[in-house]
Amino acid sequence: MPVFNLCLKILKKNIPSMLIYVGIFLGISAAMSFTVLGEQKKDSVFNQAKANIVFINEEDAPFINGLKQELSKIANFIEIPDEINALQDALYFREVTYILRVPDGFTKKFMNGEDVKLEKTVVPDAYSNVYIDLAINKYLDTAKFYLEHAENISEELLVQNLSTVLSLGSTVELKEKEENLTGNEFLNFYFNYFPYAMLYILILGTSTLIFVFNDNDLKKRNLCSPLSVYSINFQFMLAILVFMVISWLIMVGFCFVFDFKNCLKMNTLFLITNSFVFTLAAACMSFLIGNLVKGRGAITAVSNVVSLGFSFISGVFVPQQMLGSFVLKIASFNPTYWYIKANNNIVNLTDFSFIHINNVLYYMLIQIGFALIFFITALVLGKKKALN
Amino acid sequence: MFAHIFIYRLKSLLRNHEGVFWTLAFPMILALFFNMAFMNLNSFEEFKTINIAVVESEQYRNDPYFKSALNEVSYNDKRMFNVTVARSEEEADEMLDNNDIAGYIIVENPIKLIVKKSGIEQSIVKNFLDTYVQTKASIETVSKNTNFTKGDVFALPYKNNNYIKEVSPTDSPPNNVLNYFYTLIAMACFYGSFLGMSEVTNIQADLSPLAARINVAPVHKLKTFIYSTSASAIMHISEMFILLIFLRFVLGIDFGSKIGYVILTIIVGSVAGIAFGALVSAIIKKSENIKISVLIGVTMTGSFLAGMMYQNMKYIVSKKIPVLSCLNPVNLLTDAFYCLYYYDELKRYAINICGLLIFIVISYFTVYLLIRRRKYASI
Repeated sequence: MPVFNLCLKILKKNIPSMLIYVGIFLGISAAMSFTVLGEQKKDSVFNQAKANIVFINEEDAPFINGLKQELSKIANFIEIPDEINALQDALYFREVTYILRVPDGFTKKFMNGEDVKLEKTVVPDAYSNVYIDLAINKYLDTAKFYLEHAENISEELLVQNLSTVLSLGSTVELKEKEENLTGNEFLNFYFNYFPYAMLYILILGTSTLIFVFNDNDLKKRNLCSPLSVYSINFQFMLAILVFMVISWLIMVGFCFVFDFKNCLKMNTLFLITNSFVFTLAAACMSFLIGNLVKGRGAITAVSNVVSLGFSFISGVFVPQQMLGSFVLKIASFNPTYWYIKANNNIVNLTDFSFIHINNVLYYMLIQIGFALIFFITALVLGKKKALN
Repeated sequence: MFAHIFIYRLKSLLRNHEGVFWTLAFPMILALFFNMAFMNLNSFEEFKTINIAVVESEQYRNDPYFKSALNEVSYNDKRMFNVTVARSEEEADEMLDNNDIAGYIIVENPIKLIVKKSGIEQSIVKNFLDTYVQTKASIETVSKNTNFTKGDVFALPYKNNNYIKEVSPTDSPPNNVLNYFYTLIAMACFYGSFLGMSEVTNIQADLSPLAARINVAPVHKLKTFIYSTSASAIMHISEMFILLIFLRFVLGIDFGSKIGYVILTIIVGSVAGIAFGALVSAIIKKSENIKISVLIGVTMTGSFLAGMMYQNMKYIVSKKIPVLSCLNPVNLLTDAFYCLYYYDELKRYAINICGLLIFIVISYFTVYLLIRRRKYASI
């Protein structure tokens, strides 16, 4: 099989530049597996979410210490030096979302019933701000209530009363129905990140092969060989198929290395199947792109732009639920979008009866549809070129 | 002589389509992708009304204060909760399973909240319920010694008394998506290193046949180098201006109001990028592929540390290893844009620009020492 062997030889030459992408993929996956697996303690009781805030207190009063005590239930206090730039940086990079400043003389004025305010600097409209605002206003509202209705209450007694009252609360029950889902975060991440590296490798490899074989002189030389055109094409396709399967095996194989424990679950089996379907679509797309690209320099450019572009708009780098609906509409015209959609569906499956996996199968079918369209278009284009 | 070298160098740069792609088109395409992927990020963390359910019961019906508090409480003119009344616990459970609601409330003593997971929405609901329970308790404590009607007081805590005012040290909101674009433009500036690299390759006789030919011409080598590098600089600075215009006017990226300084930053950044390429090319005497890999590797690592892939990286580095953020030229450039957008004062901006200028001077001085007075017995 001379054509087949030649193809493998060409691919071997491109291994170093492909390895860079496999390396990036594996490096990020490794980093993720450490962080995600480290955090994998599923709560069995309800935990109050805590926001990170800076609490700058310009006066020392029991009343304000009481407020801080109260806030400590729902916030972590982060120490940031009281300098404008340091505080601004902390807000910008979301180390904290809320900076609260208690101005000097606040307590005295408040106790006298004057209209006095605390100062906040915040990330606009962040969720956690609602939470902090609620708690502060509650503390001060309740205090005001006491001041108005219990006459001549001392500051100490007020703080004491507040802390008794504010320790009351509602009860929360956590419905645990998700035991099966624990541990899927890493695999979800791994398989969601997979298309970036896979697309790059496939486009680079396939386009290089097609580029070499499309060279006019080489084509003429090949046509006068005793091999039939059919056999040449067959071997060529076989080489691409083998290349695709090997790349897929390597990439998928590593998920067993990173997280063996969770790999034997039904969810993982579906993830792997889905990744194979995607690889098939990606290979067909690469075949089409390979037929369109002119020039060796353009191959790296196209593989970079296509792999990055599809990854950005389809939810590989930024989760789909954070993307705008307009972007997602555009993204739905490429198989990566459907692959990610299927993945996000699969990790939430606990029941594998047909009704539940219905959607996943549907998304896979769409990917196969894409594969067919790409492949047929490539063949038509190839035929046209040959006739010219 | 200047005009001759300059014009022909410019022509050859313009005809190098691949070079133009990587230094101009690629950053533009990447910016477009960034924009598509990140344009929703800021609104994603914005507060949205929380969907909850209350299980219909005798106690709920008999507690009009709770009902009205639940419906009337608001935040920043948005209603805090969107309340559905469920006929039974099973119905509420189903809503919870379908992720239609963050949790559901059963009115009994004490009030109970049922949720599926811990999260910020659930915590807000719990906080609200706590407030309700606590207010009720305060009224009971106080009402022992005073006389007033319960109704007046119940309305009180939900009047939305606000004891907090917002102060902002700057007009620019902390829009952290912008940092991605700042690192992107910094990366594009450092892609100018490809131009700097070919300048050195074109003047060192052992690196390319073209350089060998140029070296035998009776023109001072330093002059040739300066003339042709200025062509590269003009080319790259123009590309960066196109990128800046694209970012500012097509994608609407905010660079703050100090536009003169932004232009200065672009020019300094471009020159720094070219200097970096020349430096690498002069130090590493290997094939062009290896030089390109080093350039891309260093630029990408620099961009990563400046926050291009994960924006908090920049902050982490500046807190944990401040030296590294001063030594990383990509970060200096990113930080310069960041300061112009976010700070009112220019002190930190000036430090960044000085850092870049020092980097440029050191790079070119090293290049000068490395490429001067070379003689070859045989090439």
